[in-house]
Amino acid sequence: MAALTQAAAGHAPARPARLDLSRPIIFTFAAILCVLIVLPLSWLFYYGFVDRAGNFTLGNFRQLVSDRAFVDPLITTFILATTASIVCCAVAAPIGWLVARTDMPVRGFVRLLVTASFVTPPFLGAIAWELLAAPNSGLLNRAFRAVTGAPQDEYLFNIYSFPGLIFVISCYTFPYVFVLVANSLDRIPGDLEDASSILGGKTWTTARRITIPLALPALLAGALVAFLQSMTLFGSPAILALPAGFHTMTTKIWSLFQYPPKPELAAAASLPLLVLTVVLLRAEHMVLGRRGYSVLGGKGAEPRLVRLKFLRWPALAVCLFVLLNPVFLPYGALLNATFSKVATQIVTPQNFTFHNIEFVFFELSATKLALKNTFILGAATATIGTLIALVISYVTARKAVTGHRALGFLATAPVAIPGIVLGVGLFLSYTRPPFILYGTLWILLIAFVTISLPVAYQQLQSAIRAVHSDLEDASRILGATRLQALSHITAPLLRTSVIATWCFVFVGVMRELSAAIMLFTSETKVISVLIFDLNESGDLAAISVLGLFMLIVTFATVMLANRVPGFGGGIRLRNH
Amino acid sequence: MALVELRGLSKHYGSLAAVDNISLKVAHGLLVCLLGPSGCGKTTTLRLIAGFVEPSGGQIHVGDRIVSSPERTLPPEQRNMSMIFQSYALWPHMTVAENVAYGLTLRKIDRETIAKKLSAILSTTKLQAFADRYPGELSGGQQQRVALARALIVEPETLLLDEPLSNLDANLREEMRFEVRRLHDTYRYTTVYVTHDQSEAMTTADLIAVMNGGKIEQAGSPEEIYDRPRSEFVARFIGSSNVVKGKNLDQSRISFAGAALRCDGATLVAGGETAISIRQHDIRLLSTAPQSEENVVPAVVVRQVFMGGTRDYMVEAKDGTQLRVLAPAEQNIETGAPVWLHLPPERCRALMG
Repeated sequence: MAALTQAAAGHAPARPARLDLSRPIIFTFAAILCVLIVLPLSWLFYYGFVDRAGNFTLGNFRQLVSDRAFVDPLITTFILATTASIVCCAVAAPIGWLVARTDMPVRGFVRLLVTASFVTPPFLGAIAWELLAAPNSGLLNRAFRAVTGAPQDEYLFNIYSFPGLIFVISCYTFPYVFVLVANSLDRIPGDLEDASSILGGKTWTTARRITIPLALPALLAGALVAFLQSMTLFGSPAILALPAGFHTMTTKIWSLFQYPPKPELAAAASLPLLVLTVVLLRAEHMVLGRRGYSVLGGKGAEPRLVRLKFLRWPALAVCLFVLLNPVFLPYGALLNATFSKVATQIVTPQNFTFHNIEFVFFELSATKLALKNTFILGAATATIGTLIALVISYVTARKAVTGHRALGFLATAPVAIPGIVLGVGLFLSYTRPPFILYGTLWILLIAFVTISLPVAYQQLQSAIRAVHSDLEDASRILGATRLQALSHITAPLLRTSVIATWCFVFVGVMRELSAAIMLFTSETKVISVLIFDLNESGDLAAISVLGLFMLIVTFATVMLANRVPGFGGGIRLRNH
Repeated sequence: MALVELRGLSKHYGSLAAVDNISLKVAHGLLVCLLGPSGCGKTTTLRLIAGFVEPSGGQIHVGDRIVSSPERTLPPEQRNMSMIFQSYALWPHMTVAENVAYGLTLRKIDRETIAKKLSAILSTTKLQAFADRYPGELSGGQQQRVALARALIVEPETLLLDEPLSNLDANLREEMRFEVRRLHDTYRYTTVYVTHDQSEAMTTADLIAVMNGGKIEQAGSPEEIYDRPRSEFVARFIGSSNVVKGKNLDQSRISFAGAALRCDGATLVAGGETAISIRQHDIRLLSTAPQSEENVVPAVVVRQVFMGGTRDYMVEAKDGTQLRVLAPAEQNIETGAPVWLHLPPERCRALMG
């Protein structure tokens, strides 16, 4: 009856009521995100609070804080992260300032080198430093003995040591601080400094009173991020700390899965790491959230560069000297090992060889499998991750459904889950019914999709925000349906960003170690795990070949993504 | 061409009423302006008419169809409307020709007809030379014309314009104002035009609806709105009037600053208080006391500025009320001098509320 009256009132002679897709969409994607994030974390909490028999207990945590075997790694990790964070700031802040605000020569090149250290997987850097500074065989120690004539058992550097570990971690963590500081300095409008100058401030006074205070929040945020990175890194401590005979939290958690496995303790040890990460990220957010004032006001003038005068070249020399450590020396060592008959001998015409390359790609049976797995996982993760991120970021950017905030929150949540913690959680979730995925590529796929979701989401959301919703509306009012508007207008405008995001996720998967190390089996090895394995068996030449191959693919992909027009966003890779 | 009618239309966002129970009838082929300050609900109203926003209450009729109601909202693509956006919303990945022809290709019209219509509309909007350019390669005025051409080529029943001229510089804006009106007169579709610029509304509209706080304060022809504002808001917003308040003396006079003012527009209730409005240029400034005391208020010059064609005075009546008066440029009275203001009764509008 009601329907009749409505029709009589002159409703459009229309199609059946428009299907409301918003509910199914939000439920499907909320379900996917819950499986990805909430499920492993729930198991993590469950295991942390039960004993072998499945009864509630706090015993795991009691053991964690009383057993020296756990307390020591905790203290080690804390000292390590604090020291590395301080070192990173001390190195990155001056370089960031020199690059962004002074007339130092070849600043663009210095930036490029920092990016290179950014893109280098930290575990590869750690292995390269084994080649350079292992006490007996390290190239630098050999050179030292050759120059000074010191006896065979004397050495200059020992990379298998606590300072060695801090040094290597800092090498590949300082770019985070650098990027934050340099970007913040780039964004300070020149007229803020001009305003100080016109009031009588000399160059150095202005730098001290205006520029540096404006960049301080970025530096503080950088310190927090560096702390976080050093705390959650697995590769470098596993490679350098274990031979030196000490543990960090991440290696300790990993060792709890070696025979005999103690999953409850691993879960309990993971939880503090998780909580700390969440707290640190909140802190970073708060620190950076107050930065708004630095970009207040209309059109900013070009920043004026501080004239270093006679210090220009010395400043560059200092930068290059610093960059010896993360870039020139390690890359040199890897190149050398690739073409040398003995990995730790300098290449000469006598011992030059292509055999290592031949061995890795044609003789080593594990390579083929690992390459295949890596490329399958990389492509699948990039495709699925980009797709999920695309839908969620569209929904949140356009506020298309109620509850979009919750979706956005879930999509960024994995940022706060360290790779090793996620690995533990997934291991616990998928080694028991109803989902037994352990031993398949699926579990790695789930891990990688989860890890890459925040990056993909961030990139795509800013891309979609840049496509004004008026553009879609204009198409609809002219007669296009929602789907036509998406395919004619939105899709072509987003294409470049989607390709770039795909590339970054692919690269991220290739360098992921800390979650993969918890989840691989002999059939599901990926390149990063293979490199880690080869390190345990001491096959440094093969690692160098694989490492360089990985770097080449990484650089090629990053360059491709940066070449795609219309993609201005900075890269944000995770180092674990 | 169709009649567009809003009946008790409302849109709530949470507890906020962006559009609050408005009714408006726009006859076939008229150009109506929704005029008001930012945040008054005019753009929301336009987006309600377009179908981008679903109403919380009320209905929108186009012709004999109900296109929007809380139960059911026809999607924008089925409304046979066109819209010009404040940002123009030109698609950056399509050329001018592709942008303009888009609506026709959606309608599955054959190529020859599209080509014919395209070249006709491009020549009307003087865009032939730019057909193969991308929007990023055009100036603001050219982009504006592309947006116009794209909206008009589909021959819509209803054309919606959302502050279409606000991104143009002053000269171009004036020129485009007449262009919008000329095109409207050529094609005679029903047009709804949103703007915050009252002179834009005055020069283009058949009907002006002044909006404030989600409501329509007054709807009428430009002359009506200008000459006979009904509320203080309309009086101040359109051509910035002086508004003075006083006690009612009888059915047509109020007392203001010791003088009696006869006014027009409403029958006053004795004992009440009434605000009246008078335009700045309707007040006559006298430097000597006139013989008749009817509607004359003594005052003192507070400041005056030479504006070229006119002189802009600020004067203060005895009770401290300040009034702005636009006087002829040659009438130069120095600051501090006493003056007498003559407020013609037919120009004094009694306001409601």
